[in-house]
Amino acid sequence: MNRRPSVLAGPAARDLARKVAQAVSVMLLVSITVFFAMRLIPGNPAKDVLGNKATPVAVAALDQRLGLDRPLIAQFWSFLKGVPTLSFGNSLVEEGVSVRHIIFDGLGVTALVVTASTAMSLVVGVPLGLWAALARRQQVVSHSVQSVAVVLLAAPPFLIGLLLIFAFSVKLGLFPVGGWGKGLGSDLSHLALPAVALSGYLIPLVIRTVRQAALDASRELYVEASIARGISSRSIMYKQILPNSLLPLITLIGLNVGTLISGAIVIEAIFALPGLGTALYQAVNALNYTVIEGCAIIAAFSVVIANLSADALYILVDPRVRRQA
Amino acid sequence: MMAQGGPLEPAVAPLMEAAPIAVSAGRNRVAWLVSHRFSRRWGASRAILFGGGGLAAMCLLCIAVPLLWAYKPDAMSALALQGPSSAHPFGTDELGRDVMARAFDAGRLDISVALFVVAVSSIVGTAIGSGVALTAQRWIDPVVMRLVDALIAFPYLVILLLLVTVIGPGRHLGFLPSGLPAILISFVCLDWTFYSRLARGQAMSLRDREYVLAARLAGFSNTRILVRHIIPIVFRQILAYAVLDAIVTMGALASFSFLGVGVQPPTAEWGNMMFDAQSYISTAPWMLIGPAVLLAVTGLSLSVLADGLLAKGAGDRR
Repeated sequence: MNRRPSVLAGPAARDLARKVAQAVSVMLLVSITVFFAMRLIPGNPAKDVLGNKATPVAVAALDQRLGLDRPLIAQFWSFLKGVPTLSFGNSLVEEGVSVRHIIFDGLGVTALVVTASTAMSLVVGVPLGLWAALARRQQVVSHSVQSVAVVLLAAPPFLIGLLLIFAFSVKLGLFPVGGWGKGLGSDLSHLALPAVALSGYLIPLVIRTVRQAALDASRELYVEASIARGISSRSIMYKQILPNSLLPLITLIGLNVGTLISGAIVIEAIFALPGLGTALYQAVNALNYTVIEGCAIIAAFSVVIANLSADALYILVDPRVRRQA
Repeated sequence: MMAQGGPLEPAVAPLMEAAPIAVSAGRNRVAWLVSHRFSRRWGASRAILFGGGGLAAMCLLCIAVPLLWAYKPDAMSALALQGPSSAHPFGTDELGRDVMARAFDAGRLDISVALFVVAVSSIVGTAIGSGVALTAQRWIDPVVMRLVDALIAFPYLVILLLLVTVIGPGRHLGFLPSGLPAILISFVCLDWTFYSRLARGQAMSLRDREYVLAARLAGFSNTRILVRHIIPIVFRQILAYAVLDAIVTMGALASFSFLGVGVQPPTAEWGNMMFDAQSYISTAPWMLIGPAVLLAVTGLSLSVLADGLLAKGAGDRR
């Protein structure tokens, strides 16, 4: 009767439930922040949208359509009711286009850029980090790998993006300068440079995290015990050091989703990708309030959900956390 | 199970050796000797030395070049889109302005904004974070920390965009160029949260140390313990992050101006210079290269400096 205890029972589940409650409260705070921040903007949104020459009647009509003539608390309540279903009304600029439609159009592209660059960072960063920690000529390798990390950390993604455009699109003509393709193949070629540019941010962090984790893991007693028992170094490497070096990456990526989305916003501008960032700063430039609200909330929610998933994943894959929690 | 004999295999062998000695005498003995002397005296590693030196050199250049150079950053002093020459080492832009004068003038703005924002928010954040960790009022901690959570939940750029929109991107204030006040306020409003989180963790780990207990037993007030015994140590540990944050801040300022919601033209700023350069990237790449190189060199100096400070911090703790 040696049944494995279920993940869904016990202290880990309680821990997770607390984290979910915390995440929900943060989402609520985020919604409150966004709503009242938008109401702090000086002037009247309807007037801004319609321009200076708008008649008072037109302004009042738009006010009524947006619900801006109702008391603040009533506005807040109807806004809050829309948040769980992500319905934020219609765009103020494009007639009859719902904010949700705009958000989801953009979110797909942004998510693709973020995912591709995360994957690329892992593919490049993990081997480099492990190499820096475990190579035979440790000092030389470690120094050069860390120098790469230091250099990459110094350049903001948009600078890397511009240099990539200059090198690969303008000089070599290998990739399109920007825009979004039709169909899978052309999408991938449009995705390549933005993903590389953004991964310039994550790669040094992955390298550092993996290197440190591998160094820590290799100093553990169980590794020493395995060496003493004569277990092959290949097996030690793949069964003990590698899994333990990859664990902190879950937290690292969870924590950096926000920064990656920020980076993606800038990268989208450079490569003219129709993502969330493009939608957001177009909305900012046009003072398109409902779209700004929607984009800000969806971006913040993505971060909260990413953090929560990282915590949950950690509990799932690391039995030690499960027992301790 | 059969135990495998023989010497340790290569992948594991280095793990068993003692930690390598950090300083290796390079081929360039003079440079090594100078930096070694320096590091012995000041406790600074070569990374700190080179990073700090690079940053200081950049600051000096950004102060000196606009003062001494023949061309003013805003003056249309030559033909448009000229390549690099002895008169205009970085070329000229689409309006015939000297790119070198503009790039260094922009450096003044970018570097001072980054340092100012980081200084203010690291001090404020450290004070708030340490205070929260030490306060006797139990309710303050969860309230402040949930607020911090909510602010951190936003992607940095998104909430900055939101704040800039609220404040008004084109607003002037005193001698600050148009667009900068909104950016400064937004940066500081947001940046302290990261420091407060870090500082809270650090201060909590210091809270129960013997020397703090001793200070408490000696009858020192909470404020005095905070200011004299906790904050200085927390701040020393936060310094490396502050330097890394200066890179992020500089990048964010440039990104914002690049997106058109930051510092507005005609004021020279690396981001808006690069935005202008993007349209001429195939015909006049030097417009991009000038500001890009300065931004990269400054970023690299800060990055090396932060690396050295991190290593020093790790050494302190051991």
